Amino acid sequence: MRWMTAATCLFLAIGTPADARAAQGGPGRVTQAEIEEGLTPDGSRWLTFGGDYGNQRHSPLTQITPDNVARLAPQWTFQTNTLDDFETTTLYRDNILYVTGPSNTAWAIDARSGREIWSYARELPTDLRACCGLVNKGFAMLGDKLYMATLDAHLVALDMPTGEVVWDATLAEYQSGYASTIAPLAVDGKIVVGVAGGEFGIRGFIDAYDAETGERAWRFYTIPGPGEPGNDTWSGDSWMTGGASVWVTGAYDPEQNVVFYGIGNPGPDYYGDSRLGDNLYSASIVALDAANGELVWHYQFTPHDVHDWDATQVPILADIEIGGRTRQVVMFANRNGFYYTLDRVTGEVLLASPFVFTNWATEIGADGRPVLLPGHEPNEEGSLTCPDLAGGTNFWPPSYDPAQGVYFVNARESCMIYYAWDQEYIEGERFTGGAGERIRDDPTMPLYGALRALDPATGERLWEFRYMNPSTSGLLTTASGLVFTGDIEGNFLALDSRSGDLLWRYQMGSPLHGTSAITYMLDGRQHVLVPAGTNLTAWALPE
Amino acid sequence: MANRTRALLTLACLACAATGWLAAQDLPDGNPYTGDAEAIRTGMGLYRLNCADCHGVDATGVRGPDITGVWAAGRTDAGLFQTVRNGVAGTEMIPPRRARDDEIWKILAYLRTLATPTAAAASTGDAANGAEIFGQNCSGCHRVNAAGGRLGPDLSRIGSARSRATLISHVREGSRPRSNSGYAPVALTTDEGRAVRGVTKNEDMFSIQVMEVEGRIQGYAKDGLEALEKPDGSLMPVFGPDRLSDADLEDLLAYLETLRGFDPAVP
Repeated sequence: MRWMTAATCLFLAIGTPADARAAQGGPGRVTQAEIEEGLTPDGSRWLTFGGDYGNQRHSPLTQITPDNVARLAPQWTFQTNTLDDFETTTLYRDNILYVTGPSNTAWAIDARSGREIWSYARELPTDLRACCGLVNKGFAMLGDKLYMATLDAHLVALDMPTGEVVWDATLAEYQSGYASTIAPLAVDGKIVVGVAGGEFGIRGFIDAYDAETGERAWRFYTIPGPGEPGNDTWSGDSWMTGGASVWVTGAYDPEQNVVFYGIGNPGPDYYGDSRLGDNLYSASIVALDAANGELVWHYQFTPHDVHDWDATQVPILADIEIGGRTRQVVMFANRNGFYYTLDRVTGEVLLASPFVFTNWATEIGADGRPVLLPGHEPNEEGSLTCPDLAGGTNFWPPSYDPAQGVYFVNARESCMIYYAWDQEYIEGERFTGGAGERIRDDPTMPLYGALRALDPATGERLWEFRYMNPSTSGLLTTASGLVFTGDIEGNFLALDSRSGDLLWRYQMGSPLHGTSAITYMLDGRQHVLVPAGTNLTAWALPE
Repeated sequence: MANRTRALLTLACLACAATGWLAAQDLPDGNPYTGDAEAIRTGMGLYRLNCADCHGVDATGVRGPDITGVWAAGRTDAGLFQTVRNGVAGTEMIPPRRARDDEIWKILAYLRTLATPTAAAASTGDAANGAEIFGQNCSGCHRVNAAGGRLGPDLSRIGSARSRATLISHVREGSRPRSNSGYAPVALTTDEGRAVRGVTKNEDMFSIQVMEVEGRIQGYAKDGLEALEKPDGSLMPVFGPDRLSDADLEDLLAYLETLRGFDPAVP
């Protein structure tokens, strides 16, 4: 009798609208409106890389507070069983976690138990040449699909309930040095994605694909071709191998229907004589019309970069008060050591000030260009410049607390001797034209890290929490006044976001390299989830 | 079919082995890129990207050995090529996964430009007496061939890893171990008032892991310490002429020069 009852129920349920929707791919489809809504007070979701389209990574949840955070207890740990590490932001919806791992892997995980529901693995070509680890920064989700960029420069759409491949689009030929590690961005029926390979003489681009079919909707080359404005900022044919990769997720302003992406370094990284000129749009931020990929404005942080200072940091959007006016801004702590607040409608520089020790430029001039100090062009003998090639900060996500009006960033204080030499371009081969040697154990040169709280209207440093060594951890802030971070020695840390005081710590056994914690509600309890090394661990207050 | 497949596989394996054997036989006696300015420039780039972290930009050694004297010490281009291609077993030097043969030759062509032209004059001292001096003054902290103390670096390869000038400098003037080398000195006092001296093996913001001078390894929570100091320099005492005569130093150097990590029979 029991089985008959169940079958009857199933039969009856099939006819209901709710289950018709479920048959299309789970309980409800992720909508554009939901993503635009960002992180909601019910804590039910984390649908896009930065939590919301502005990449603020600021949760409205308040169950975990500065007073009780020290009572956090582990709920479970998931192990990837891979050789390389997480560099990802996890997505969360309907009690399920969706996470990408290294070496073209991904999982759907039961958030209640940490148990796998499905896994995805895509074979890695044996002749793949990715510059900086076989990593991935996360999924995008829209409708009933997940979207993942792959190391062999494809974009795949996976069926959310099963992990099966729905479509597979080729971004570029990996044999030519292209790869992709970026978390895609789902925007109004399109999936926006970029390519890595700035150390392999690629010509970078940003693509948008139809979310349903995988058909390419538009492409924006980050290096203009012949006849296009900006091509003359590259001498000779250097534009063809100029890099300008795109490997960190941008932001989206639905009101303008514009996406904002930071662009990577020009190539070869350190030898600039073979690519004379400003080298647009390398080391820049570009604002693109999300409908067609056309350039709305651009700003180049580091014209003719020769220090590998990709502008591949995560842009954060907010509306802030500056000089008594509310300005729509994009906030950007750059690898070159300067923090910028730009008007996101016009690209105008509203503020630019160093947030770490720099010795290559005195300031950003009224024309928006850095005022250079002599002696910082790398050469065969070596030239000492601060920051080092990893920069004042890098790809690990910052956060922004709109209630406090404070921007948080993990900053690096480090200097390097940069070397450069002329190098012949060979397709698919490493093409850096130089190298660097970090300065260690020199009491006159800094080598440490700090989580810094900045006022984005003035650039003023409100507080800092110093690490022994530079951290590569992304951040998460909460409305209850917490900031979650990590150090390079493997400690997961919770600080008071108003004072920088350390409140809680746990040794994860591996740093949060480029990963950020996320937070969400599950069965009435706020959880904090952190990827570190090959582990994904969920924390909550004791029941 | 199964038999045929097996036969083909066997043939393929034989072919691979033959190719490998031929490749080994085909290795040129000398470096085809020696003196080739373009190749040397490429080799410089490859060296600085792949080798300098351990061997130093000037190749005089950091974590890895000083390799400026390898030719002067009798190694050949072909032998050095095999060392790079195969790595050095039991060390951090692993075979480079993707290096092409021409890239290795170019690195060696560049390295040759940094090399000392002639071998440093071999020590004229008495190595047997040097071994005794080492036993009395050094082996409490330094291991050689699995015997001796652990506080300082293992010196089983020191004769091929560091130049004579560097050894003299370290003995006579002292050294400055890198802060992350595992040999930087530390002095701490526990909350119970116990004083500990040793070297830092690892450290984070909240804890420090130490090898104490007695050889014990131990970790300490920093909030359980009354004092934590990191003195400059090294725990190794400076041996001036008052403690070690020039003649005894010469004998000690003669002994250290016999401590070579590689088999001298290898070309």
